[in-house]
Amino acid sequence: MTELYSASGSKVHSHKADIFCRDETRVDWHSKALWLLREKRDRAAASIPEWEQLRQLGSELKLHTLTHLTDYLQQFEQQCLANGIVVHWAKDGQEHNQIVLNILATHQVKRLVKSKSMLTEECHMNPFLEQHGIEVVDTDLGERIIQLANMPPSHIVVPAIHMKKQEVGELFHQQLGTKAGESDPLYLTRAARAHLREKFLTADAAMTGVNMAIADQGAVVVCTNEGNADMGANLPKLQLHSMGIDKVVPNMDAAGVLLRTLARNATGQPITTYSSFYRGPQQGGEMHVIIVDNGRTEMMKDKILAESLKCIRCGGCLNTCPVYRRSGGYSYNYTIPGPIGIAVGAKEDSTHSIPWACTLCGSCTYVCPTKVPLDKIIAHHRRLKAENKTLPYGKSGYMPLVGRFMASDTMMNTSMSAARLALRVLPGSLLKPFSGAWGKYRELPVAPESSFATWYAKNRSR
Amino acid sequence: MKIALFIPCLVNQMMPDVAIATLNLLEKLGHQVIFPQGQTCCGQPMTNSGCFDEAKKTTLKLLNAFKGVECDAIVCPAASCLVAAKENFHEFDSSKEAEEVINKLYELTEFLHDIAPIDRFARPINKKISLQMSCHGIRMLNLATPTEEMGKQRFNKVEAVLGKIAGLDIVYPARIDECCGFGGTFAVDEGAVSAKMGKDKAQAHAATGAQYAVGFDPSCLLHLDGMIRRQKLPIETRHIAQIINDAL
Repeated sequence: MTELYSASGSKVHSHKADIFCRDETRVDWHSKALWLLREKRDRAAASIPEWEQLRQLGSELKLHTLTHLTDYLQQFEQQCLANGIVVHWAKDGQEHNQIVLNILATHQVKRLVKSKSMLTEECHMNPFLEQHGIEVVDTDLGERIIQLANMPPSHIVVPAIHMKKQEVGELFHQQLGTKAGESDPLYLTRAARAHLREKFLTADAAMTGVNMAIADQGAVVVCTNEGNADMGANLPKLQLHSMGIDKVVPNMDAAGVLLRTLARNATGQPITTYSSFYRGPQQGGEMHVIIVDNGRTEMMKDKILAESLKCIRCGGCLNTCPVYRRSGGYSYNYTIPGPIGIAVGAKEDSTHSIPWACTLCGSCTYVCPTKVPLDKIIAHHRRLKAENKTLPYGKSGYMPLVGRFMASDTMMNTSMSAARLALRVLPGSLLKPFSGAWGKYRELPVAPESSFATWYAKNRSR
Repeated sequence: MKIALFIPCLVNQMMPDVAIATLNLLEKLGHQVIFPQGQTCCGQPMTNSGCFDEAKKTTLKLLNAFKGVECDAIVCPAASCLVAAKENFHEFDSSKEAEEVINKLYELTEFLHDIAPIDRFARPINKKISLQMSCHGIRMLNLATPTEEMGKQRFNKVEAVLGKIAGLDIVYPARIDECCGFGGTFAVDEGAVSAKMGKDKAQAHAATGAQYAVGFDPSCLLHLDGMIRRQKLPIETRHIAQIINDAL
């Protein structure tokens, strides 16, 4: 497993996927665990007759907000200020981390309890704060597990989905002193709860991500199942909330639409156990909201890519993706894996391979609660890679040849009849140069004697 | 009706039986069928890799084969190629003649369901078949309601067409419309994942106990066939055209 997320070795998607696929039992288990979430999602979605209307509304309200983003962000800031919230703006991850550090340093914070935030992962905030002597404790159970194991998340909603309970048991035994060989989920959860309770009670500040920011209220919405965001935000006097500029929605009605689809699409729950609205500091406390761009404005300049900002991070596209389920979260060379990870991360992918970790089957697009056209975005990324001359897998070499080959009757007909003949008469071992990755896993096609065109000329021409 | 056959390169070169069955069944249904010369690849392998410049020449060559051809419909027994042809014709040619070609393009199931439905089949087929609901046909051509979609009246044109054949027992694999993992160059670029997807799909079809895995997309069938034979599974692939032709 460490082979998958370590910094060394090739980061090309197919290479990492190949490593993941070597343990077929684990692939089957991983794929099944995530498919269970998809099935729960299907049942939850089917249970409300207006599901498709909600998706349409979700899509339209996010597009509307993105179209008027400056106005809504300014309104949000004004309302926050009126509520006594301090608002910060960060153009990138580095600026975000510095702002957070400054706030924490001012209050001599030694320990920060954090609830789930993909944005802080995107900004690589934890290592930055740790370098500056601040202990960051992830308090979402899944997040805490991977933090103890020193791993990045492999899924945006269930970050430790790649770990089996026995592996968690072993980890807890080493790190938290639970009984050796014990992997009962209830026992392990109780141990984590006791361990985290102590961290909550002694923390100097709390930080959360933001699911939605409500412009006309100056409020942020945080959804968790464990109540860890609330435990954090309500214990220490200092609370911080980091959000991307794409998180703002106009009002409570809009938030209501998204809240109805978010948890249903993520895990099949009608709603997360806790959906908390924070609109001001606690008595005698301080509340900070940090609004981060980090490439989002740039993304909005491209009409197709811009639609990926409609995403509400439910993870539904990961659960349905047949490739993600069989290649795992560490194969994408980006903090966010799966279809949405390709959509928002392809530009930064130095291997240029992640847009090809997809069959363009389109399932993600149909699952998405805000109708992000993921397959179209991924296809668009391929086109951008081709235009920038950064194609992977030797495509820039052979694609022009294929293009010319297909456009030439003589070339195609002569070589295809030669290929058919070869397939019919030659032993498999001699065909190796033609078969490559195809023949490694599958039998070569049984070749017909002639093409349809030849048959037609012989049998049907006047 | 007068029908022009659109036989994509893969079918022409590697699965002529599918093309012959398509031709025969359309003729049995009383249509006049022609096969315009000069057809080639729709450009999908290139455009799916982002290489639009490389796709242009072959796409336009295919389009030209149909321009000015007198017919009521252009019918293709391959959903994925048909979708790509439509999209790529649009991409590279905005002329009226191109629009006329595009408006006549139908995938075989679509044609037999929406345009010229089959009244009755002549012969029963006493077989159990497991339907391969390929992605592009389902999610881009609306041949059936995808499992992700909720609410609406559900439909399945493939089952509606084949369901009229007496004796035919139609079943589905688990995870009905999960991708088989072919994905064009994906099958080679991402060999391990593609093969695992194909293996899972082939096993799901075999687990139904059906004699044939039947589909409307030859490329998926080619992939499944290679996987079924490698895994030595007790099932074979057939194209819907072959089943329909046998029943007429």
